[in-house]
Amino acid sequence: MKPTKNIEEFVKLEKPHVTTGETMDKRTLNDSFAAMDQTIRAKKRSTAGIRSRAAKLAAAAVIIVAIGLLMVYRNPPLPQQPPRTVNVAKSPAEMLTAMSLNLAWRRGGIEAVDEQSEKAFKVLGSQPAEASIQKLLVELNGV
Amino acid sequence: MIDEKILVWRFNRGSKDALKMLYEKYKDDLLGLAITLLRDRSLAEDVVHDVFVSFAGTTGSFRLSGTLKGYLSTCVANAARDRNRSRSRRDVGLEAAEAMDCDSGDPVEHAIDSEQSGRLMQLLGHLPYEQREVVVLHLHQEMRFKEIAEALGISINTVQSRYRYGLDKLRSIMNSMVTK
Repeated sequence: MKPTKNIEEFVKLEKPHVTTGETMDKRTLNDSFAAMDQTIRAKKRSTAGIRSRAAKLAAAAVIIVAIGLLMVYRNPPLPQQPPRTVNVAKSPAEMLTAMSLNLAWRRGGIEAVDEQSEKAFKVLGSQPAEASIQKLLVELNGV
Repeated sequence: MIDEKILVWRFNRGSKDALKMLYEKYKDDLLGLAITLLRDRSLAEDVVHDVFVSFAGTTGSFRLSGTLKGYLSTCVANAARDRNRSRSRRDVGLEAAEAMDCDSGDPVEHAIDSEQSGRLMQLLGHLPYEQREVVVLHLHQEMRFKEIAEALGISINTVQSRYRYGLDKLRSIMNSMVTK
């Protein structure tokens, strides 16, 4: 028996050739079509559900925006005023100069004030022509 | 192959004609597979029926990777295995090959087919279900070992060893038949 030599060929060649019956075909196709219809219906329902949810969300968003706009137009925000600044002291440069001069006076008298004022002018970068020790003393003592 | 892809595309679009054509194309082949595995025509018909009904339920979302024949064969093999497990442990017996009686038209052709396939069914009936499954999927359904391994969820080595043991057993049975 040849197939013993080539068992694979034998199994391949002896593949059973069966045919389905009419009853089976009818039953299988009918049930398959029904399953197909059911799936299509279910998908349509689910798509419609998603669409209606999206529509609800969109409507809610429109309402919220409309309310927001209405509130903005009814109660317009007050115009913002620029913050006021109150001058409670002289400029830092002046204060520093006055303070440093005061300290210098206490430390070393008129020579120290002179030296300090020279330094201050150097730091501030400008030296007014009329600036003098007398004027500074007037500013310092208020006399 | 292209025709098959077009049919699958049409099936996904909800075409019943496409489903019918796919059924017509593969029904006999799948029924043969189920009968070879289960050795019971009525159970085999139920398996093919269930596979097609569940396939029809995937319309619109079915994605084909590989061939449709391979996919459907895998479904039939899995469903047949489930049936084989769940059915009672009655011995199917060699005479179950007679259960292949079908309502095909030509009685002569039917007789020849029955005789040929009956011989093979007798032989395959001696194999354990797992070996029979692998042998049939590889030689009749032309599935590669890798495909079978993926379909059955086992390693390719297991598939190859089952196939080898199955063929060895068939060979020894046939040799013993020849010596008698």
